[in-house]
Amino acid sequence: MKFRVERDVLAEAVAWAARSLPARPPVPVLAGLLLAADEGKLSLSGFDYEVSARVETEADVEEPGTVLVSGRLLADISRSLPNRPVEISTDGVRVIVVCGSSRFTLPTLPVDEYPALPQMPTVSGTVPGEAFAAAVAQVATAAGRDDTLPVLTGVRVEIEGDRVTLAATDRYRFAVRDLMWKPEQEGLSAVALVPAKTLLDTAKSLSAGDVVSIALAGSGKGEGLIGFEGAGRRTTTRLLEGEFPKFRALFPTEFNSVATVPTPAFVEAVKRVSLVAERNTPVRLSFEQGVLTLEAGSGDDAQATERVEADLEGDDISIAFNPAYLLDGLAAIDAAVAQLSFTTSTKPALLSGKHAPDAEADEAYKYLIMPVRLSG
Amino acid sequence: MSVWDDLVGQEQVVEQLVAAARSARVVLGESGRSGDSRNSGAEEQSGSSGMTHAWLFTGPPGSGMATAARAFAASLQCTSPDLELGGIPGCGFCEGCHTALIGSHADVESVRTDVLSIGVKETRELVRSASMSPAGGRWQVIILEDSDRLTEGAANVLLKAIEEPAPRTVWLLCAPSVEDALPTIRSRCRLLVLRTPPVAAVADVLVRRDGIEPEMAAFAARAAQGHIGRARRLALDAGARERRAEVLKLPLRVADLGACLAGAQSLVDAAAADAKQVAEEVDTRETEELRAALGAAAGVGGRMPRGTAGAMKELEDRQKRRATRTQRDSLDRALIDLSSFYRDVLAVQFGAAGELSNEEMRQAVERVAGESRPEATLRRIEAVLACRTALERNVAPLLAVEAMAVALRAG
Repeated sequence: MKFRVERDVLAEAVAWAARSLPARPPVPVLAGLLLAADEGKLSLSGFDYEVSARVETEADVEEPGTVLVSGRLLADISRSLPNRPVEISTDGVRVIVVCGSSRFTLPTLPVDEYPALPQMPTVSGTVPGEAFAAAVAQVATAAGRDDTLPVLTGVRVEIEGDRVTLAATDRYRFAVRDLMWKPEQEGLSAVALVPAKTLLDTAKSLSAGDVVSIALAGSGKGEGLIGFEGAGRRTTTRLLEGEFPKFRALFPTEFNSVATVPTPAFVEAVKRVSLVAERNTPVRLSFEQGVLTLEAGSGDDAQATERVEADLEGDDISIAFNPAYLLDGLAAIDAAVAQLSFTTSTKPALLSGKHAPDAEADEAYKYLIMPVRLSG
Repeated sequence: MSVWDDLVGQEQVVEQLVAAARSARVVLGESGRSGDSRNSGAEEQSGSSGMTHAWLFTGPPGSGMATAARAFAASLQCTSPDLELGGIPGCGFCEGCHTALIGSHADVESVRTDVLSIGVKETRELVRSASMSPAGGRWQVIILEDSDRLTEGAANVLLKAIEEPAPRTVWLLCAPSVEDALPTIRSRCRLLVLRTPPVAAVADVLVRRDGIEPEMAAFAARAAQGHIGRARRLALDAGARERRAEVLKLPLRVADLGACLAGAQSLVDAAAADAKQVAEEVDTRETEELRAALGAAAGVGGRMPRGTAGAMKELEDRQKRRATRTQRDSLDRALIDLSSFYRDVLAVQFGAAGELSNEEMRQAVERVAGESRPEATLRRIEAVLACRTALERNVAPLLAVEAMAVALRAG
């Protein structure tokens, strides 16, 4: 194998592909990065059994071939090379990297021991990269982190025609985001449960691209994988199996009271008041016309109260929330004004965003949060 | 070379596993006879019964439980073109088989422990991976090689995942006997029992696979009493043979108290030496492989790239823990050798017709047999077994072995 490639191109590609390499490889070959050169193209791939990453760039290929080298070492080297064309070639069981006057000889790893990379499913549609990353971040915040409930560590992706719905929950809050996308074919319908952490990382790393292609097998017998592709980079992720809770019926549609609060002031107040809320104790919110009172702490412990301006339509209400979950939601709505809609103080409340106090609430993102039941 | 070749004397088990691998293909819709849809539906119903999502492999140590589990895993991942023509799943050559056997297949996870137990933390991760779908679109196989070492809490974490894993996840658990698995785990698995492979079959595989002289192979197979790995080691390693001979001299030495204590010391030393040698062979290779993979400069003391120290440290820790366990295992092995000697003595005393495990030491066996009565021999066997139990309970090795040696004399 022998090819030439620009230093910046190489460094960027290697850095991205090496990102998914496991820090503690279960077998040594998994620490390797697979370099394949063929017909003017260089591809680099890494795999950690769960996520595969593959990036393709232009290269001046003199002799095609495939080789497996230590990903970390190659990443370290390519990052610190001088800005000159890099020539990579094989010599027996070694790889030679030449750039300007520097020359590296690297050992190779056995290619035949490297596992087969999963096949990319067929592309089913595209979304703008940045919008996708933002939507995923909004939802992934509500995903669970308990490995013994694997279903809740995932983000459910539902595709119905030109609409994609992302949903995640950890049983205490439920985030749902709708976004539009361009499907490849009419009337496409598919569902998948993607590990939240991986989805978040992937969406973030592809956000620079104009469009991200999502590849997902149609409903029915899936391939067990979802693929993302953007700007020459593609990754596949293994899907979680299991029944995701049915969520559409969970979201209330009729409310007894609706409060609107400027988000920045609300966030600041919750942060301050929750300083005295010990682990697992709630902040209590009392809404009256024109004012919201926040309280935390009780009895002999430290206590705090704060008042924030707020609008209320409907009945006065007192309700308590886990402050961390409330703050997650307020950060996720990403809007100037937060709207909280209540039925009763024991039923979940709906949090959504508005860009101005008199605007309509944003229908695309909804964050349902369970109240903490107060004793007495 | 098919993946089943390394399974010695387990024809029945192989047959069952091959049948399971075939029905697994039917479940995947790969039977190659899917022309008529009604027909293939019926086939799926009848054929899929051979396959299930949880298996418990049991058998005496050395009979090849882990080998069987890995072979089965490979056959589930086999993509040989011969299969369409009715070939046996598990060709041993295709990419699926090859990577499954060497342990780098994406969908074959092998969990083994070098320490004494598997805790809740490790199993939580397994629960998560069990709910993933396979990367290669076939089966995700999780091999739990030491499921007898699961702590009760860890086993309970796994219950739900073993009972209802994702549709394409298969659990393969290995344990010496059914009693070693919690009843709740046992009842969720299909049981496969491996037998102690016959001496002739072990000798045969040593000759065929490792190219060992038939005479040596016969000796090693007999001496190892059906433990294939041990037989191979005895046949290939003169040092291991010597140490074994040393162990078997103990019954002749226990004339007085001083000799008992000296004998015990040498037994413990021999086990330590054995463990050290095994460790050195494996550790150096492992360390080198990982260093190369992480991109260390060649040679000892070469610079490691940033952020790799953790992985190396982890390997070192694991090797250290493994050394402790290997030493314990070698001592246990020595005690089994010792009990085989007394078994032979008993056989001679009763004039049993069966073959002696230590044929080459017939003279010594006959001497001890002539000097004592069967009751005494039985008591001595009890003493050896009591020593094994004591070691299992973490008694200081030298102390336990000394106690045993003294008991051997008194009997």
